[in-house]
Amino acid sequence: MSEQQIISKTLPLPKGRSLWQDGLRRLGRRRFAMACFVVIVLYFLLAGFIYLAELFDWQVAPIRWSQEVGSQYESPSGENLFGTDIFGQSVLRKTLYGTKTSMTVAMFASFISIAIGVPLGAIAGYFRGFIDEVIVWLYSTLSSIPYILLILAFAVVLRDKTFFGYKLAGITTVYLAIGLTSWVGICRLIRGEVIKHKNREYILAAKSYGCSAKRIIFKHLLPNVFHLIIIDFSLRFVGFIHAEVILSFLGLGETTRPSWGAMINDARIELARGVWWQMATATFAIFFISLALNIFGDALRDSLDPKLRTQ
Amino acid sequence: MNNKNKNKILSIEGLSTHFFTDDGVARAVQDVSFSIKKGKTFALVGESGCGKSVTALSIMGLIPAPQGKIVSGKVVFNDCDLLGFTEKQMRKIRGNKIAMIFQEPMTSLNPVYTVGNQIAEAIKLHQKKNAYQAWKEAIKMLQRVGISQPEQRVNEYPHQLSGGMCQRVMIAMAVSCKPTLLIADEPTTALDVTIQAQILDLLDELQQENQMSILLITHDLGVVAERADDVAVMYASRIVEIASSQELFENPLHPYTQGLLKSLPQLGLGRKMKRLSTIQGNVPDPLHFPTGCKFHPRCSIGCNDKRCREIEPELIEVEAGRFAACWYAPGYEKAEVK
Repeated sequence: MSEQQIISKTLPLPKGRSLWQDGLRRLGRRRFAMACFVVIVLYFLLAGFIYLAELFDWQVAPIRWSQEVGSQYESPSGENLFGTDIFGQSVLRKTLYGTKTSMTVAMFASFISIAIGVPLGAIAGYFRGFIDEVIVWLYSTLSSIPYILLILAFAVVLRDKTFFGYKLAGITTVYLAIGLTSWVGICRLIRGEVIKHKNREYILAAKSYGCSAKRIIFKHLLPNVFHLIIIDFSLRFVGFIHAEVILSFLGLGETTRPSWGAMINDARIELARGVWWQMATATFAIFFISLALNIFGDALRDSLDPKLRTQ
Repeated sequence: MNNKNKNKILSIEGLSTHFFTDDGVARAVQDVSFSIKKGKTFALVGESGCGKSVTALSIMGLIPAPQGKIVSGKVVFNDCDLLGFTEKQMRKIRGNKIAMIFQEPMTSLNPVYTVGNQIAEAIKLHQKKNAYQAWKEAIKMLQRVGISQPEQRVNEYPHQLSGGMCQRVMIAMAVSCKPTLLIADEPTTALDVTIQAQILDLLDELQQENQMSILLITHDLGVVAERADDVAVMYASRIVEIASSQELFENPLHPYTQGLLKSLPQLGLGRKMKRLSTIQGNVPDPLHFPTGCKFHPRCSIGCNDKRCREIEPELIEVEAGRFAACWYAPGYEKAEVK
């Protein structure tokens, strides 16, 4: 047996761990962050469950939110946990159903903004020059318009329009409006990070063995900034939930089905009569997911970008 | 002429690369000419910032645009002028015909991929091999560059390897497509001395195996003496002297080369040991080069000579195979009259 064979028999090397796996391990050790992660997952599961229930017509409680379960404005009791609204509908069911609305909007809005912002940012940062100037001009202009006004403008314009035979209605308008207006932040972030990374030696090395610009951007640069996309996603998600609530509150969002914003909107009249439960339930639903996402997002950043902590 | 060209793998003629910065034009490489013979090692020596790396990047066509630009010259590789190539044609050359290894092995590997992935990528880019074959080839290459337990190392990430191992991986990537020319840009500067020798030995072996030419960029004269067949000395963006390494060390023609060799510490002098001699002054700033010969402010002969101060000497063949750019080099004026 040669020396080489002996060495490899006696000393098995530990399996390689990527920076990703390291980061996720660090994250796993943070108890509180993991608790928040569980909360987030529960929200997602609930939203997914309601979506499926609607799709397959399972008659579970949140689907039957429009059912009258009691008289008008019943206060919270054992029978109706969070009371009823003006039509005698269960506030609990409406809140649960609202989860689906909010999560759907935030999810799609995030995907749209990432799909626009990340490639634009990477292209601007990598090529610089004229392309960069055009993209920077585009997002500077977009971000100079007050955010809410811009979303409102998009929402009003997109409302009830038909695209490719598909009528934009309800939440589709909302997530399109939010997604199309909020890619600026991620675009800026990725552009800056790509500028930082593209002068690193490994990019030069990749060029030196014949990688094309496309390959360098998508195979070498983006995986190195991908953690930022995830962190940004987790922190921005909250903003999108809020944006949906604001749009619904202003009457531009979902009007036919319950959403947290619409519930808070309803509560404007109710509060004068001392009916606080609809407002409170919707607010707490928003509060918990916001808190969980924020804490989890921070922990995610600390774990995946450990250099940031020491700076 | 044709015969002469036959054993040359690369010849550079009058290459000038400038950087157009906000503060003015930095002439990083000016009128550089040399040629590399097949299967030989050609060393490019000079201090930091003299334009060695820019020369290498100019050959590869990787000068950072838009500030950097090759303003004139030819890079003739296998009878083709690479400067006339399109980006797409260049991509086929890079990594396949001309490969490059870098100074900082730890940062030259992409941190998010395993070393196997990266070697396999280089292989897949230039050879018709599927993922499995490329992976097997990557393991073979790791074995070839002397990494033990290649089947396991292939799954490791760059941050798990030492600097020397990273450089071996870089070499494995570079030679995986059997390039005819390997540009080694200070391959051992970041490594400690024992690893240096191993890496250089490895390069020697691979050179023998693949009949590969090496352009060795370094500032270590010891490395040059041991490994190079021919040497060009660069100073402030120009080549000041070209010779075979033996001749250069025995009989340097340019005052700068002489100064460099004098400033090497010598062992074995015993009591006769004196203070190391140095070259006075500083390297000129590429934005504000002195007029005339760029070395004249630091040169013991040239500092008082009007001609050295005003007219820059061209690089001229003073003897067969020996080039120098100094008014005082023996045979310089005679050659110039010719």
